[in-house]
Amino acid sequence: MSDSKYITLISYDGFEFVVLREAALISETIRAMLRGPFREAQTGRCEFGEIRGPVLEKVVEYFHYHHANRDRTDVPDMDIPVDICLELLMAADFLGLDSKPQMRDIS
Amino acid sequence: MSRQTRTAGRRIMGPQSALTDFLASHNISANQIRLDAEARRRAAAQDNQQRQADGGAQQLLNGDADFDTPPPESEVDESVVVSTGRSTRGRSAAQAAAEAERRKKENEKKAIDKIKASKKSQKRKRNLDDSEDEDDIVRALFNERAKPLPGQMENCAICNKRFTVTPYSRNAPDGGLVCSPCGKELARDDPTPKNKTKRGSGGPVGAHRQKQSKILDGTYHVGGKSLMSLCIQTLAKNIDLAEHLGDLPPKIVDKIARKLSKHRLLNPTTLSLFLQPSNQEVLVYDGAKLSADDFYRIFHSVPELKKLKVRNAIHFKDEVVDYLLTRHIVLEDLYLHGSNLISEGKWIEYLQKKGQPLRSLRVYWTDKHFTDAVLAVIPASCPNLTRLKVCHNQAVTGEGLGHISKITTLRHLSLDLREAIHPDVYVKLLTAIGPQLETLCLTRVPELDNTVLDAIHLHCRSLKKLRITDSELMTDAGFARLFTSTWSNPGLIFLDFQKCRQLESTQPRENPDGIGLCDEGFKALMEHSGKTLQNLNIHACRHISSKAFEEVFSADKTYENMHKMEISFCEEVTDFVVGSIFRSCPNLREVNVFGCMKVKDVRVPRGKILVGVPNARGMVTECDED
Repeated sequence: MSDSKYITLISYDGFEFVVLREAALISETIRAMLRGPFREAQTGRCEFGEIRGPVLEKVVEYFHYHHANRDRTDVPDMDIPVDICLELLMAADFLGLDSKPQMRDIS
Repeated sequence: MSRQTRTAGRRIMGPQSALTDFLASHNISANQIRLDAEARRRAAAQDNQQRQADGGAQQLLNGDADFDTPPPESEVDESVVVSTGRSTRGRSAAQAAAEAERRKKENEKKAIDKIKASKKSQKRKRNLDDSEDEDDIVRALFNERAKPLPGQMENCAICNKRFTVTPYSRNAPDGGLVCSPCGKELARDDPTPKNKTKRGSGGPVGAHRQKQSKILDGTYHVGGKSLMSLCIQTLAKNIDLAEHLGDLPPKIVDKIARKLSKHRLLNPTTLSLFLQPSNQEVLVYDGAKLSADDFYRIFHSVPELKKLKVRNAIHFKDEVVDYLLTRHIVLEDLYLHGSNLISEGKWIEYLQKKGQPLRSLRVYWTDKHFTDAVLAVIPASCPNLTRLKVCHNQAVTGEGLGHISKITTLRHLSLDLREAIHPDVYVKLLTAIGPQLETLCLTRVPELDNTVLDAIHLHCRSLKKLRITDSELMTDAGFARLFTSTWSNPGLIFLDFQKCRQLESTQPRENPDGIGLCDEGFKALMEHSGKTLQNLNIHACRHISSKAFEEVFSADKTYENMHKMEISFCEEVTDFVVGSIFRSCPNLREVNVFGCMKVKDVRVPRGKILVGVPNARGMVTECDED
């Protein structure tokens, strides 16, 4: 496992984003990629074959937004551009950026 | 007359002013303008004269003959000049006016053509990047030039009164200027306020209020919102822009549906987003804006529908059920809320024809038509039914419960009936189907007594969720007997004994018979299910003493799974008890303490929520704890 503080995320159209490892680990998917016996874990480079550059850019922005605000209570909402909203939603689902799983009451 | 003026326009004249030269180069004749103005003025003067004189026609003729010498300005009554087109004037004057109007138009057109060709227009066009219609720009330029300067006189575009133009004169909606009274009218009608100041957060009070509101909504979190909620939020705001939702997973589609319904945005248009032919479930959380046609649409555009949930399904009526019966749709899960237009006969017909695959049937808020007779059909025609929920129902009686007890497949049963039913009927029901029940919810049952608790103790083996609310007869001893160690049911996950308490208005403090959930019952309950409980509601069980609370939540006891507690209106809850609760339940997220007047100043661990503190200071967060 590479020990760098940063990892690289690569979109399907070739854009590379260098992100703080700690910030990116809120994503379940990225955590699994980096912890498992995968090539990503050695190189610290994660390729996403389904996410476009602009969308991944927003995701990276979110990682840093979330990381910066992790201990604050009244956080202003991040701005989501309307035109990539649906794509971003798909990416969020893929990366496991859902709200924390809550215990569901059995109905 | 027109010919005469035109020849006059071409007449050879003496030296001209620079302005006339300039205008001539733009094909605008200064003479023409002067003549137009004269004609207008004359027409106005004539009109005026006509009003003043009794024999109007004579005067008119005189005025007409007096063609070349315009009346002096002073003669024109400034306040009552009426527009040339509308007034009742003699024929020739009207002709003159019409001619003038036509000429004015012609000139305007010529001028506009000139402007189009001019440099300024070209430059502006470049700047505007072809975004606007070219003609609009040119017209705007023309109006800009044609607008009278401050200090000049002008006729109001609305009331036609003559007034002095000031820098503050407003533009009329369809060109021209208006006088100040009309301007005020306009300003009042104008829907967009000029200086819309953006409201701030309202300082510390606003922020505090916002936080409290979030806490009550249950959406309070430390840190930012998840990317998914942010996206769904944005999507819900701009739902009118979305054409389809693509192939999002059902879980997310459901979240979007919830968000939309929360904002009451679900209507026939947005419903289409959720009707993908490949879907197996359609969940409508607010069907108030849907008509019967929209329900037809659900059935014919989602042929593989298995799960249908409609809240506020007002227009889900007999015709819709008829249509559903004609389709090859195999519903496994039906959830209807507020469908009062389905008649008893139609319910029976539906269950008889389509009851076979039905696994779950939930019916909320029906007053007359979901009756005992409907329940009577279920045991025979719904052999796979595991979940039955009949809530807010005014028609089902003890007879209906008798029919329910014949549904041997039932795992989950929730009843919220308005008819008072004797406890023995419930005992019979539990004897029949108790052993396999996982969920038992009996809401608002003031007449239920200890015999029902004993029946639960005796027959239920696999309960996970238990709710008995508003009982006025069950006693502490009864609850303690239910939760003794001999009960072979494993620990419950969800418990709700809301408002099981003594109701005695004359002596509210005394409870000699131990009615309701009190000390022993509460201790036995926590002993039995404390380790597994996730959700506990003992709202208004007000005879539980602080000693019992302290014993249950003592330092050596932990309840790992506890997630949410509702202990509002438990009078004996103190600061110490709340502190002990936080200590004993490490995974607790929310505690409700409305009406617990002894809770005054609790330190709430970080990330946990305490709702309803009487001093309204709400949550105090400490950063170093937890």
